[in-house]
Amino acid sequence: MKNNKLKDILQNALGTIEKALSLDALINIKNTYLSKKSELMGMMSKIGELPPEERKEFGQEVNEVKTTIAASLDEKMAELSEKEMAEKLKKEEIDISLPSRSLTVGGRNPFHIIKDEMIDVFLGMGFEVADGPEVESDEFNFELLNIPKDHPARDMQDTFYIDKNTLLRTHTSPVQAHVMAEKKGEAIRVICPGKTYRRDDDDATHSHQFAQIEGLVVDKDINIGHLKATLELFAQRMFGEKRKIRLRSSYFPFTEPSVEVDIDCANCGGKGCSMCKGTGYIEILGGGMVHPNVLKMNGYDPEVYSGFAFGIGIERVAILRYGIDDIRRFYQNDVRFLHQFRKKI
Amino acid sequence: MLVSLKNVAQYVSLDGLSAEEIANGLTFAGVEVEEVRRMASGTNLVIGKILECEKHPDSDHLHVLKVDLGGDYGVEQIVCGAPNARKGLKVIVARVGSVLPGGEIKKGVIRGVESNGMCCSLLELGVDAKYLSEYQQKGIEELPEDAIVGNENVLKYLNLDDEVLDVKVLANRPDLLSIYNVAREIGAIFNRKVEIPEAEEISNFKTKIEIGSKSEKCSQFSIKEVRGICIKPSPKWMQNYLNAMGVRSINNVVDIGNYVMLLTGQPLHMYDADKLPKKELYAYSEYEGDFVALDENTYAVKPGDIVICSDHKPMCLGGVMGALSCAVDDFSKNLFIESASFDSASIRRTSLRLGLVSESSQRFVKGTNHFQSEEVLNLAASLLKQYADAKEFSDNVVYQDEEEKVNKISSSVEKINGRLGTSFTKEQIYDVLTRLQFKVMMDANGEFVVKVPQFRLDVTCSADLSEEVIRLLGYENVPSLLPKLDTKVGGLTHGQARLREIRYFLLERGLDECLTYSLLNKKEIKAFNLLNDDEHYEILNPLTDDHVCFRTHVLNSLLKAAEYNVSRQEKNLALFETSNVQSLQRREEHLAIVLVGQEQAQGALKTIPYDFYHMKGLVEGIFTLLGIEASRYKFERLESHFDELHPGKSAKVLFQNQLVAIFGELHPQKISEYGLGKTNAVVLEMNLSPLLFTKVNIEKMSPISRFPSVSRDLAFIVDKKVEAKDLLKTIKIAGKGLVKDAFIFDVYQGANIDEGKKSIAISIVYRNDNATLTEKEIVDVQDKIKYELGKNYHVEFRM
Repeated sequence: MKNNKLKDILQNALGTIEKALSLDALINIKNTYLSKKSELMGMMSKIGELPPEERKEFGQEVNEVKTTIAASLDEKMAELSEKEMAEKLKKEEIDISLPSRSLTVGGRNPFHIIKDEMIDVFLGMGFEVADGPEVESDEFNFELLNIPKDHPARDMQDTFYIDKNTLLRTHTSPVQAHVMAEKKGEAIRVICPGKTYRRDDDDATHSHQFAQIEGLVVDKDINIGHLKATLELFAQRMFGEKRKIRLRSSYFPFTEPSVEVDIDCANCGGKGCSMCKGTGYIEILGGGMVHPNVLKMNGYDPEVYSGFAFGIGIERVAILRYGIDDIRRFYQNDVRFLHQFRKKI
Repeated sequence: MLVSLKNVAQYVSLDGLSAEEIANGLTFAGVEVEEVRRMASGTNLVIGKILECEKHPDSDHLHVLKVDLGGDYGVEQIVCGAPNARKGLKVIVARVGSVLPGGEIKKGVIRGVESNGMCCSLLELGVDAKYLSEYQQKGIEELPEDAIVGNENVLKYLNLDDEVLDVKVLANRPDLLSIYNVAREIGAIFNRKVEIPEAEEISNFKTKIEIGSKSEKCSQFSIKEVRGICIKPSPKWMQNYLNAMGVRSINNVVDIGNYVMLLTGQPLHMYDADKLPKKELYAYSEYEGDFVALDENTYAVKPGDIVICSDHKPMCLGGVMGALSCAVDDFSKNLFIESASFDSASIRRTSLRLGLVSESSQRFVKGTNHFQSEEVLNLAASLLKQYADAKEFSDNVVYQDEEEKVNKISSSVEKINGRLGTSFTKEQIYDVLTRLQFKVMMDANGEFVVKVPQFRLDVTCSADLSEEVIRLLGYENVPSLLPKLDTKVGGLTHGQARLREIRYFLLERGLDECLTYSLLNKKEIKAFNLLNDDEHYEILNPLTDDHVCFRTHVLNSLLKAAEYNVSRQEKNLALFETSNVQSLQRREEHLAIVLVGQEQAQGALKTIPYDFYHMKGLVEGIFTLLGIEASRYKFERLESHFDELHPGKSAKVLFQNQLVAIFGELHPQKISEYGLGKTNAVVLEMNLSPLLFTKVNIEKMSPISRFPSVSRDLAFIVDKKVEAKDLLKTIKIAGKGLVKDAFIFDVYQGANIDEGKKSIAISIVYRNDNATLTEKEIVDVQDKIKYELGKNYHVEFRM
C-alpha cells in the first residue's frame, strides 16, 4: 500500500476493532471508519483531485482498506455476539432440582390396582365381567346357592339384614345366580368383582366391608383340572411366574367338591417364614365344582352341564402383594398411604 | 372340636404317626386342624424327693433344697422360691438342660448359692391355668407319696402326655363332633383299621315311664332309667380326657354324659327321676310360658321351641338346657337318661334367641345321627355301672317317628373321573370308598352303587362321592388343563370400559383414588345427599351406630376421608371415588370428587387455590373423554340452594335434560363442620350411569381449512349478572359462520369499574373456510357483533 494515510487508517481501525469489547463499540467503530462522513469515505470523495493515473490505484487501495475493515468488523461482531449469547444463557441458568409442574399421576388405592389387575388377568383368559346388587335378596344370597333357611352354613357368615328377606350380600356368589338366570342355557365364563359385607367388628384383619372377585365357568365337560389350571395361571400372573398352587379339600355349600387354594410363599419360596407362618404356603382363595343343586336351581341340567366357581378376596391379594399391615388402611384413604402407589402397570 | 389323640388311639392305631402328621393328613382331607396342642411339655424331667429344706441365707422367701433324683442322678442342690417347698415332699424336677415352655434350665448361682435344676409347678410345664387350683398355681406341684423317685416319664405319670388337635369342624361334617368318627376318619386317611367298641345293653327291669313326641321337631326320643347311682368325682382318666377336650369335670354323672357325647356326638340329658311330677316325658313345640333353667335364670319359652314336659310342666328346653326343678344334684339316686333327635333349625333359633349356646346345642344345630340312640344309652349305662355304682337298668324305651333310610348313590368310575379331571382306576375308587366305610357294589364296567354309612349326613349325590375320592387321593393327582375357549371372547362391556377410562383420566389429572365404606350413620346419610331424595336401606342388626344406612351417595364418605387427612396435616387434597350406590328406588354408579386447599402446580412454589372452575373442568373433561358433545349437556345455576354448598358458587349438570351432577364450592360453614381447617373445598357428586350407557357418534375427520384465521379482541364493561355463556352465544350467532371460536381471556371487577359491573375481554377467531378474509369482512362482522352485544346487554366498549 502506497498511501501512508490509508495505511494508518487501516492500522488504527484494525487496532480499535481488536480492542472492542461490545457490539455497541463495534457499531461506533463502523460509523467512525466506514460511514459516509468517515475519513476514509472523505478521502474517497476527493479521488477527483488526484491525477488520473493515480486514481485507479488509489481507488483500489481505499476499497481494499474498506473491505478489510468490514471483514474484520464482521469477524469481531460474530465473536462478540457469540460471547454475549453465551453470557446471556449463562445468566439464565436455573436450578433444575426445583420441583416440576406436577404432571404426575394421582395415588391409587392399592385395592383398585389389584382389582383392575385381577380383572385384566381374567379378561385375558376370555372372561366377561358381570355385576350384581349389593343389597340382595335372601334367595339369591343363600337359597339359590344351596343354603336353605336354617342351614348351619349360614352361621359361617354373619349377615347384615335389611328385613327378613333382604340383606347385604355376604359374598359375590349371588351374582352366579344372576348370571345363570340371564344366560339361561348358554355356556358361561364370567367374573364378578364387588363389595361384600359381613357382621364383623373391624380390626387389623377383619372388616365389615370387603371385596371379592367371583369366578364362574359353566360348560359341558368342565372338571376340577380346569379350575386348577385357571387358578394356577391367575396365581402366576399375580404373584410371579414361578408360583405354584396347592389345593386342599374344604367345604362350601355351593360347590362339590370344594377346595381351599394355597400358593407357595413368594417370600421364602416355600421353605417357611414369618409371612407364611412357617408353612411355606399362603391361603388365597376358595372354590370348587358348582354343586349340582345350584346348577339345577338356576336352570342348568347338571347331567349335561358342569362348572367351577371360585371367590378371591381382593384385599387379601393386595395385602399379600404389598405387605399391607392392616385391612383398615384400604378404607382410611390416608394420602400418605395412597401416594405410595401410583404405578398403573 | 378338641380331639385328644390319646383317646383316639384307643380306637385306631396311631403308631408311627406324629401329631403333626395326623394334623396334616386331616387338613388336606378337608378336616382342618387349626392347632396341635400339648397338655404339657418339658424334657429332662424326673421325679425327686426333697431331703433337706433350708432357708436361703440371703433371701426371705427362697429355700435351698437338697433333692434326691434317684439312682441315676443322685442328690442335687436346688434353690427354690415356692412357698410350699418342704422336707419330704415329692416333686417334679427339671434337670439342668431341661427345655420347658418358658425356656431352658441352666446351672446357676442364685444370690451366692449354686442351683442345679428347678422344682416345677404344672404351670411351668405349660398346663393351662384353667385346669389348676389356685394352690397349684402358686407353688410347685405336690406329688403323691407313692410317686417313684427317679421316674423320668413324668408327663405320662401325670397323664399330661396327651396331644390335642383343635379341629375346625365345617358345617358339612357334624359327624366329626365325635371322637369315634374322628377315629374313623383318621383310619380312612391313613388306611388303618378302626375298632369302635360296642356297648352291650344292660337291662334288669322294665321302666314305667311313658314317653313320646307331640311334635315333628322331635323325631326320636329315647329314655333309659338307671337306679341307685352314687354321685362322686369321676375317675382320673376320664377327667384327663375331658380336660384335654376342653370340658370341665363336675362329677361322675355329668362327666359321663359329656364323655359319651364327645365319643358319639350324641348329646344326652339326665333327669333326676324322683323329681319328675309324673312318670312321663313328652316332647312339645307349642309350649308357651316361663322356664326356670339349670342356671337359675328364667327364660320365656315360645311356640316353636322344643320343650320336654312331664305332666305338662317343662322339664327341659330340648337340646338347650334342663330345668332346675328336675336337675341331677349331689343327692340324686335315680336317673332318666335321654337321647333324642331334634330339628336343627328349631334348636338354632331357640339357642340364638336365648343366647344359650352349648356343646350340646351346637351338635343339634349342626346335625346328629338319628339312629344311634340305643348304642348311646347302652354306653352311658355301662359307664354309670362302672363309675357311679348304678345297680338297676331299665330297658331302652324308644320313640322313633322316622324310618331309617338307607342312603344309596349310583355313580360310576367315569362320572367320578369326569368331575375330577382324573383317571383313577376302579380299584383306587373302590378302595377309597371302602376305607371311608361306604359299602360299594361295583360291576365290571365301573358302574357302582354305594351305601352311605348312617353317620355321614353330608353325602347325598355322586358329586359328593367325587369329593370323597379326591380328598383322600389328593388334589396333586388332578392334572392342570385350561378349559377350551370357544370363539366368543370376553372383555369389558362398553360401560365397564368407560368407567375405567374415567377413573384413569382422574388419576392422570393427579387425583387420588379412594375407597370408603358403604354403611353410614343416620346423620351422614342425610348430608350431601345432593342428587335425589331416594329412600335408603337400613340395617336391622347393625354392629355400631356408625354403620347403619346403606349409602345412596358417595360424597359424604369422601369428605370424611378428606377430614381424616386434613387432621393429619395433609391440607391439599384431590380425592375421588367411584362406587355403586343403591337405594330402594335405584342402583347407580356414582362419582364423588373432593378438592381441598390448593393445586400444587410446582411443589409449593406455585399454587392455585381449588375453585369452582377446577371442578367444572373435570366434568367437561369427563364428557370429552366419553365423546359426548358439548351440545348434549349443560351447566345450570341451582334454583334451590343446598345447605352444603356455596349458593353463588355451585351448579348442576344436566345431561340431555337429566340431572347427573351437582357440584360447587363447599359452604363456608361446612368447611369447619368437616374439620377442613381454614381452607376452601370444592365437591362433586355425579351419577355416571347415564353417561356410561349412552350412545355417542363415531368421530369422523372434518377437513382442515387451507385459509388463515384472524384474531380480534373486544373489551367492554357489562352488568355483572350477564353470564359469559350468553355473551359468547350472541357473538357466535352474530358472527354467522365466520366466528370459529371466541373465548374470554380477562374478567375484572373492582377499581375503576362501577359497582355491579364487570370488565370483560374476549378474543374472537374469524375464518372463512373457502377464502382468505378481507379486512372489510372482518370489520363488518365485528361491527355486527358489537351491535348485537350493545343491543342485548348494553355493553360499553373500552376500545
